[in-house]
Order: sequence, then C-alpha cells, then structure tokens
Amino acid sequence: MSETLNAVELVDICKRFPGVVANSNVNLKVRKGSAHAIVGENGAGKSTLMKILYGMQKADEGKILVDGKALVFESPSDAINVGVGMVHQHFMLADNLTVLENIILGSELKKGVKLDFAGAAKQVTDIAKRYRLELPLNEYVSELGVGDRQRIEILKVLYRGANILILDEPTAVLVPHEVDELFRALGDLKSEGITIIFISHKLDEVLEIADEITVMRAGTTVGSVNPKIQNVTAQDLAEMMVGSELPTPATTESTVTNNAVLVVNDLAVHTESGKAIVDHVSFKIHAGEIVGIAGVEGNGQSELLDALLGIVKSSGTVQFLEHNISNWPTRKRREHGIAYIPEDRQRQALLLEAPLWENRMLGHQTLPPNSKGFWLTPASAKSDTQRIVNEYDVRTPNIDVFASALSGGNQQKLIVGREMSGNPKLLIAAHPTRGVDVGAQAAIWDHLRAARAAGLAVLLISADLDELIGLSDSLKVILRGKFVADADPTTVTPQILGNAMTGAGAAA
Amino acid sequence: MARITLPQAKFVRILFFLLIGVTTLSLARTFADSGDLSSTGTFGAAIGLAVPIGLAGLGGIWSERSGVANIGLEGMMILGTFGAGWAGWQWGPWVAIAAAVTYGALGALIFAIVTVSFGVDQIIAGTAINILGLGLTQFLAKLAFENAPGGGQTQSPPVSALPSFTITEISEPLSALQKEGIFFISDAAGLLSGLFYQVSIITLIAIALFILTAFILWKTSFGLRVRSAGENPWAAESLGVSVYKYKYIAVTISGALAGLAGAYLAIVGTNVYREGQTAGRGYIGLATMIFGNWRPGGTAAGATIFGYINALQLRDESNIGGLTLLGAIILIGIAVLMVARGMRGTGAALGLLGAALMSAFLFTTKMPTEVALVAPYVTTLLVLATASQSLRPPAADGVIYRRGESH
Repeated sequence: MSETLNAVELVDICKRFPGVVANSNVNLKVRKGSAHAIVGENGAGKSTLMKILYGMQKADEGKILVDGKALVFESPSDAINVGVGMVHQHFMLADNLTVLENIILGSELKKGVKLDFAGAAKQVTDIAKRYRLELPLNEYVSELGVGDRQRIEILKVLYRGANILILDEPTAVLVPHEVDELFRALGDLKSEGITIIFISHKLDEVLEIADEITVMRAGTTVGSVNPKIQNVTAQDLAEMMVGSELPTPATTESTVTNNAVLVVNDLAVHTESGKAIVDHVSFKIHAGEIVGIAGVEGNGQSELLDALLGIVKSSGTVQFLEHNISNWPTRKRREHGIAYIPEDRQRQALLLEAPLWENRMLGHQTLPPNSKGFWLTPASAKSDTQRIVNEYDVRTPNIDVFASALSGGNQQKLIVGREMSGNPKLLIAAHPTRGVDVGAQAAIWDHLRAARAAGLAVLLISADLDELIGLSDSLKVILRGKFVADADPTTVTPQILGNAMTGAGAAA
Repeated sequence: MARITLPQAKFVRILFFLLIGVTTLSLARTFADSGDLSSTGTFGAAIGLAVPIGLAGLGGIWSERSGVANIGLEGMMILGTFGAGWAGWQWGPWVAIAAAVTYGALGALIFAIVTVSFGVDQIIAGTAINILGLGLTQFLAKLAFENAPGGGQTQSPPVSALPSFTITEISEPLSALQKEGIFFISDAAGLLSGLFYQVSIITLIAIALFILTAFILWKTSFGLRVRSAGENPWAAESLGVSVYKYKYIAVTISGALAGLAGAYLAIVGTNVYREGQTAGRGYIGLATMIFGNWRPGGTAAGATIFGYINALQLRDESNIGGLTLLGAIILIGIAVLMVARGMRGTGAALGLLGAALMSAFLFTTKMPTEVALVAPYVTTLLVLATASQSLRPPAADGVIYRRGESH
C-alpha cells in the first residue's frame, strides 16, 4: 500500500485557538481515488482539520502535502487551485441567486466583458451528466430542497476541477433515500478517480462507504482501520472514538401509564391557499409514553409541532392534562409544562449572539429560576445554567461565552438541558440528537429515558430511524399530513419503516 | 379560483403596464377635465424631478446589492450638491459634475471604511454620514461662499448651465397632438413629447447609468460577485471572492451616484448650491429602490411616479383634483385585482379608500390642500404595503460581515 501515491498527506498538524488546542499531532494519509472517512466525537477536531486542509484556517505547525508536494494554503483559493474542494456542513449557497450563478461564482467564464452564461451552463451540464447530478440550473436556490442543495455544493466543487473532495457531515441533513442517492453519486465520483474525504459520526454509514477510516479523539488521530480488509464493526469504531461501549437507544421496559397527558382530536393546519398540511390527525400520549412520528421531512411534521405549541393557527381540539388548550397562546402552553426541542436549533432555539445563561432563560423567562414576578433573576439563572452544563456535559469554557462559540452538539445538549428543566409534563422533541456525537447522544437518551420513567410524555420526531424505533413506545407514520400507518417498535425494522414513510408499503 | 396572469416576456409586460398606465391617466384627465395631467410640460418636469431621486435609488441598488444598507445616501447627496456649487461657479458645470461625483464617492468611502472594515452598524453609520454631510457642508459653505461674488453663507454663486436637448421635429407635433384632447392618443403624445423637450445632459447620463447598472450587475462576473456579497458573503468568500473589495467598490459607486444626483439639483434643478437643497430626496431614492425591488427597472419606474406626482403639485394647484381622481382609479383597480385573486380583506380596505378618494373628488369643490398633497403619497404607500409581499431583497443586506467568521 505504501506504493500508491497519497492524494493528501497531513504531517503533525497542530492548531491552537485561545484556550483550546483544536488539533495536535494530527497525521493523516489519504490514498488517491479512495473514500476516506474521518470519524470522531463533536469537538474532536475533525472540522478544524478540514478547514486547515481547505485553507480556511492556517495550521500553527505541521505540513500539508497534496499529491506528494508540500504546500502552504493562505486561503481557500489556494486549495481550489490544487484541486481540493469542500462541501460544507452548513451549505454555502445564496438563496436569491440561481443554481448556475451559485456554481460559477468566483470562477466565471467570460465572453468579452460579459459573463458567458450559455458556455458555463454547457460545462456544468456536462459535469452533471457525467456524475448523474442533474439540477435545474436556472431555478433560484430558495426553491430547492436539501438534497438538491447538496448536489449544487458538489457540482460547485467539481466545476472548479477538484479531484479531492471534502464532505463535512454530508448526511446530517438528509433523509434515508437522499443518503442512498448521495452514496451512489459518491461511488460514481470515486470510479472516476476522485478522492473523497468524508467526515461523519454516523458509523454505519461510514462502514458502508469508506475504504479507510481514521478515528480522531480529543484533537488527535488515534488510529486508522481498513474496513474492506479488517473486520471492524460500528462498536469497535465507537470504542476507539470515546473509549467506552456503544450506547443504544433501546428503552428497557414499558413505563406507559393510563393517564393521558395529550389528547389531540381532529387537528388540522391549512396553508393560505387552503391546502391541509396537517390533515385532521388524532392521537393520544400518556404519561411515561414516548410516541414517535416517522416521516420524510416536509410531510407536515413541523406544522404539527407548531400547532401543538400554538405557533400556527389550527382547527380541532388539543387537550393537555385537564385543560383544553386549543386556544391558548404559546407562552401559556409553555408555562403549563410543555417543553420543546425544535428542529432547527440555531434558528428556533438559541440566540447565537447571547451568553449561555441568557439562552437558558429563553422560552422560560417567566418562570423561576429565571424570574420572579416582573424581574429577571440572572444570579439564579446563572447557577442553574451551571447545573445544566455539568449535568449534560456541555463542553464550554464558561457560561458567559456566546452560544455561537459552542459546537453544534454542545448547543444541542444545552437546549435539551434547558427544556428538561422545571419538570415538564410533555416534551415535544424534534431530532433531539441531530448532529450530536455518540457520547452526548447516549447522555441525551439517558435523560429522556429517566424523564419517561418519571412520567414524562414525549412526542418524538427524528430522521434517525434507529433512534425513533429504539426510544418509542409506539410509532406512527406521517405522509402528506396524515397518519398512514402505526408500527410496533419492538418488531419493525428501519427498512419497513422507511418504505412506509414513502408510501411504498404498510408498516408491520 | 380566478387568476389573472401577467404576460411572461419582459418587454411585453412593460408595454402592457404602459398601456394600462396611459389609459388610466387618460380616464382621469377626461373626467377631471384637467389637461395638464398629461401635458408635455408635466412630463418634462416629472422627468426632471425623477432624475435625482432615481440616481439616489440607483446608488442604493449598488450598495444594498453588495450587502451594505446605505441610509447615508442623503448625506452623500448633500456633499454632491456642495461639490457642484463649489467647483461650478469657479470652473464651470462640467468640473462641477466631476467634483460632485468625487465628493459623494469620498463620503461613501468613509462610510465603507466604517461599515465594511470596522463592522459598525450600517444604519447608525449611515445616519452619522447624513449628519456629517449636512454639518460639514454648512461649515464649508460659510468659508467658501460668504465672500464670493453672488454667494452667501448658505448659497453658492450661480453655476453656468449645462447643455440640454430638444428635438423640435418630434416634440412640437406631439405637443400639438396632445392639446387636441383625444382619448389615449393625446396622453401618449404628451408622454412622448416630454421625453424630447429640454432634456438635460445629466438626464441622458442617468438613463445610460441605469442601463449600464442593469448590464453590469446581472450580465458580468463582476456584477455576480457584487450580488453574491449581498446574498451570502460567507459563501462568496469560500469561493475565493474578496467580499471586502467588492463591497468597497459597490459602496463607492453608490456614493458617486448620490453625488451625481446632488450635481443635478445644484446645476440643472437650480443653478446654485443651497443649504437643504436635497430635501430628503436621498431617503425617497431609497424608498423607490425598495419599491423597485432592488432592481434598476423598477427603481426607474418608482422614481418617475414620484417625479410625476411632484411635478403636478408644483405646476398648478388645479391639478390636485385630477391627481385625486387618478389615485382613486388606481386604488379601485388594484382592489378589484386583489379581490379577484382571493385577497378579500386587503382588497376591500383598498377599495374603500379608493371610494373615499373618489367621493372627495366628486363631492367637494375644493379639497383642503394638505389632504390633497398627502393623498398621492398615501396611495403609493398603500400600494407598496400591499404589493411588498413579493419583494426579494438581498438576503444579507445590512448584515455585518467579518472575514473568516463563520455564520
């Protein structure tokens, strides 16, 4: 293997930020034309390493070799020039520009003083055809879904002639069939000789696609395995990552009681044009029960949650404990014990430019420990924030830093901790462990299980089907705003559930 | 549900709107019996009044397309008027234009340094530029003009005139046709003849700049990069686009255009620099830019409408009746459209207001001037408020962008 040329070689990379060592003595060798996965917990330094390789940040020490040549990257342009391209975790796209404009930006074709749109469109179409990544080039990006946006990002990189492709957690935002589609595309790319560096913490996926896997822990590389030769399992990888056993979402025994906490009857949400997004659904959640809702994103899940929280107008009745809350405003619902973990943490759950303790108050600002009557009580809010940080293992220098300074997983832990505070009766949770590493995931699951045992009712929505099946006491499948099937989590498999979600088959 | 679909091709759509506009105007003129509503002189004056507003709006487009909300246009325009007055009486109108453009651009450069390099809030910085522009010119005017022949503390000596063009062969027969009072034809003739009667060289430059801006921003790679800075600077930077550079260039161009607007006021509108000459036209320019959906075509249309309303008021108070009727017809027309599209509530509200204006026109012999003067602006505001749902502002407009920071 030492004969094959390495597309990328990183030698003893070190990178320090004020107060943190993000990378120390990182060594990495990526063979040409291989798919190389880098796995590790949140904050293990994967993203920093990739930013260094892409020229967005500069290493303090160490060497970068691309195709055997030592190089120094001052900016992404330098990386692009030697064929290194990156698909960011948070898409770097301009919504109000067309697909074509987004792709060619920065490396435009010219025809005299004019931009040669026709020529560029032809080039992009050729590349798209070759890798089967077709897209509507003249559409605005704002009109497109997540899967298409990712394809734009990949095309963007290929258009620049990249032969080394870095993907930062590419599957985090995708639903199962989009993941399959992505892996198919990556397979095509690989067969054309393109090297793929793939960051993930979804170990099953990594094992599926990677030719080689490098594990990072606490800012350094701890080892590499070759899944095609060595017999490694997800368990083995997880142990390398965290040095402990792989947690499972499975709940132990049923704690479901007979006390209905939430009774939803004939709930419907309509768009302005009168289309039913949530189409007259009815269900019950009991104390100590977790009801999971499976569905491809965009089938009414978000609207259902919004309706339960009173954020959007809905028809039908919602009974919460002994109250009919159908006409209650959101604040009142929250004060009576409905906790909420929203889908999009940065948009809906946090003030990024505010310290952690202010974020602790957010959504609970009318209740102790955050306030007393008219006045806020920052001192007790701060000490409670410290409690959350300790209990939920939020990795942060202190509680006065801005929420934006935390990694995604740690932001999520803070949110979960906040919402579990103050003894909620009902938790509405959307993707509670999205973008969270295995260690933190296990902790969040433990907290959910403990709360459930203590009588919490949970409505759970998750794109992670294993999590959904493992945690839920009962499962419902939502399709185009309607519950189309029930599933028994003790017998159903992700495959069956996945089929039911797309309407392809009935669940068990 | 009934749906009224607009013609798809851009050119056809513009013609379509023009057709409707002239017909509406024609109706209002006939019933209000107010010939000045579509006379050559009115349209000529309208264009003259539209130019400074439109140029300011065009400056707004440049700046905001690059992601810098430029509320400082007013101040840059004031700097322009002073530059024109100061250079104009000494070295003539052409140097005056150059000086106005330079002064406006310098004001913008300060604005760019503060907002782009130092990341100061753009609204606050813009307000500061407005105050600075006003204060600085007041101070400098005192120094420069107090002892100059024909000048004073708040006014420059006169600037000699710029050339203007009249194509008699076209404008005179059209003007004659306009006086005939034939439905639609005369109104169209009035509109056209206004375009060929005493057109200032700056007006021609302004029209060229509108076309040039549309071309540069939407057809060149430079323009794409400017727009990308206003839509998603992080994405642009990740593709090797130097966001700071494009913001600097766009903001400076923005100030230069505001300066040119100032030059028009000081050289063509009057022939002196006078304190307070801009009278908030920078802000109105910004409003027309929003009205025009951050696009040159729409902004030009918005500026023309403002100019037209202004021109009618300035020319003759008897026009106010016709203007009220015009507003009523427009409001009722839009109300009907909205009800047809299923927006009953807003449609009904607009319809009621239209009816109120209509009855004001029909049943009062003389309206209070204050009400009459405000009516067109209220109409415009209402139309804006109800039409603004489909606006597409640059996504990162007004956002402080710092290089290397993730978002």
